[in-house]
Amino acid sequence: MADRMSAFFRMNDEPVIIIGAGPAGLSAAYELAQRGISIRILERSDTVGGIARTERYRDYYFDIGGHRFFSKIERINRLWQEMMGDAFIKVPRLSRIYYNGKFFQYPLSISNTVRNLGISESILILISYLASQLKPHPVEETFEQWVSNRFGTRLYQTFFKTYTEKVWGIPCSTIRADWAAQRIKGLSLLSAVTNAVFGTQKTKSLINEFDYPPLGPGMMWQRFQERIEAAGGDVRLNSDVVRISFSGKSIQSITVRQEGSLREMPVGRLISSIPLTRLALLMEPAVPDCVREAAEGLSYRAFLIVVLIINREHLFPDQWIYIHSPLVRVGRIQNFRNWSGAMVPDPGTTSIGMEYFCDEGDDFWRTPDEDLVALAARELEALGLANSGDVVEGLVVRQPNAYPVYDQDYRKHLEVMRGFFGEFDNLQTIGRSGMHRYNNMDHSMLTGLLAAENCAGASHNLWEINEEEEYLEEQKKEAGGAAVFDQILGQTFSRMDKLAFAVATGTAAGLALFLATAWLVVKGGTVVGPHLRLLAQYFPGYTVTFHGSFVAFSYSFFWGFLGGWLFAYLRNFFLALYLYRIRKKAEIMTLRQFFDYL
Amino acid sequence: METRDERGKEDAEKLLHGVLILDAKVLGFTAGILCGLSLFIATNWLVVKGGEQVGRNLQLLSQYFIGYRVSFFGSIIGFFYGFAFGTLGGALVGWIYNRITLLRTKMK
Repeated sequence: MADRMSAFFRMNDEPVIIIGAGPAGLSAAYELAQRGISIRILERSDTVGGIARTERYRDYYFDIGGHRFFSKIERINRLWQEMMGDAFIKVPRLSRIYYNGKFFQYPLSISNTVRNLGISESILILISYLASQLKPHPVEETFEQWVSNRFGTRLYQTFFKTYTEKVWGIPCSTIRADWAAQRIKGLSLLSAVTNAVFGTQKTKSLINEFDYPPLGPGMMWQRFQERIEAAGGDVRLNSDVVRISFSGKSIQSITVRQEGSLREMPVGRLISSIPLTRLALLMEPAVPDCVREAAEGLSYRAFLIVVLIINREHLFPDQWIYIHSPLVRVGRIQNFRNWSGAMVPDPGTTSIGMEYFCDEGDDFWRTPDEDLVALAARELEALGLANSGDVVEGLVVRQPNAYPVYDQDYRKHLEVMRGFFGEFDNLQTIGRSGMHRYNNMDHSMLTGLLAAENCAGASHNLWEINEEEEYLEEQKKEAGGAAVFDQILGQTFSRMDKLAFAVATGTAAGLALFLATAWLVVKGGTVVGPHLRLLAQYFPGYTVTFHGSFVAFSYSFFWGFLGGWLFAYLRNFFLALYLYRIRKKAEIMTLRQFFDYL
Repeated sequence: METRDERGKEDAEKLLHGVLILDAKVLGFTAGILCGLSLFIATNWLVVKGGEQVGRNLQLLSQYFIGYRVSFFGSIIGFFYGFAFGTLGGALVGWIYNRITLLRTKMK
């Protein structure tokens, strides 16, 4: 009882503590600060932004990974606009794939792809695609099976395998299909229909251009920091959390290393965006063995970026290039001046970021900086993009825990972690690393905003946020409300019952002719129904008599039944064809932008 | 583990969650408008064309539609008759369809 009472008072008296000043942590802090709730945000490094930060070297700015500001979540768009307003620049997107010594347009275009691959290779890819459609893998457990089933084995092997394995460092046959299903949206029948019904203009424009802060994403996070501080929030950089003490199912305090000394802070409510694996290690007393083992089972992919300053004004027009060639180790090359001219101070030079994917602590990670710079310069020359002699200088930025790995067992381990941390009454985990979820920046921010709302009394289950649902929710709103949306889709695309419609039209047609005949019989006259009688040409035995009206009903019912059945059959057939077509179109769209999802 | 078929079915089930149910009122109203307009246009077309005996065959509808003539005024009467019969017919089709569909769904 005393524990509960002290926890209650702590919750109300102490500021909400947020660990990590990445997009998720900053969003949570901003939302809380706006609501007048006291917050303290603790960031281990000397800058805000987390893995979406912008680094600076001699007035050259470089973005860690390349972050486009576009979202289908209106709330996030509004928040970005609120922060940046007119300062945003619109960047027309250009990115290509370098494969087999050639540049492929990206998003992929059929004509360009066929031209670059050659007719014979294109035909083989088409045959492979058709084969995969006729005889797909019966079970989709791995990424390899998932892609092959949709795009054919040959296209997968020649185009997707190398880059994906560069990014993840493991064979595609060991990456779970879940990862593709979660990352690659727009492939479900529901979302394909949504796009077809409500249009994809917005999506198309988002693909073609995006917003960007002139000095990189760091500018955005800087503004978040300023607004949080202006609202009374406490943003502490260089503050490394080294211990999180708990008792029962409540976090009691955290210990932070600041300027070389340790300081303990009582905790009312805690929001953590640090990797789940690290969170488990910080807990005091130690977490149960099963949780520790689960934490050890979860892994993150790291990457390092070798920034080269090159003594040339123009290298290539793209913001970034995907490097599929297996002959070089680099996975992606960013050209920062093509993101924003303001990121490069000297107009006679160019700064590029050569991105290498690796695991934290592996041989590549530990390679000395000068060797990495030399390697990057050599590979740049090998790719024919610049001469190594043009490289003025270079530096290396290492980014651990960049991508949560969805390997064969991640889900099992994640369930254990969720079960353990989910029971704490004053702890929420948010963001990409905090939830071990391959969220984009906007979805990470959304988890932060919702966690903040939870602190203010809401009860969102952050783990149940489904990305696809979020996207659809926005489209539903645009379409004028969820109920209308569901009703329209349900009513439009449901199957028609052929037999029921046939009976209904048969009955209506039969009754119509029955009444038409009977009416004339009742009216009487010298010659009853001389014109209606002509129907006997088609309905043998039909007369305009009382008996004839029953004959008319039978004939009319028969033809009405047949017509109704045929109508319903054709309606269902063409609807199925339409659904098949839009599903395939969605798959092709996905194929065109495939690497955005990796 | 879900197979491709299972996932596809589950996905499609979200959308195609049932058999189409018609709105009998809307169907009736639509059929009514269509029938009414058809008769209105058909009558006026013959009126505009003119001739010695205007719409001799269409005039036979007056057997059922009392007061109907092949004239402009008759086309307005024809519209109301057409609308009434179309509405009844459409609503009847919708009502019977829904009854049978519900019955068959329950039986399944």
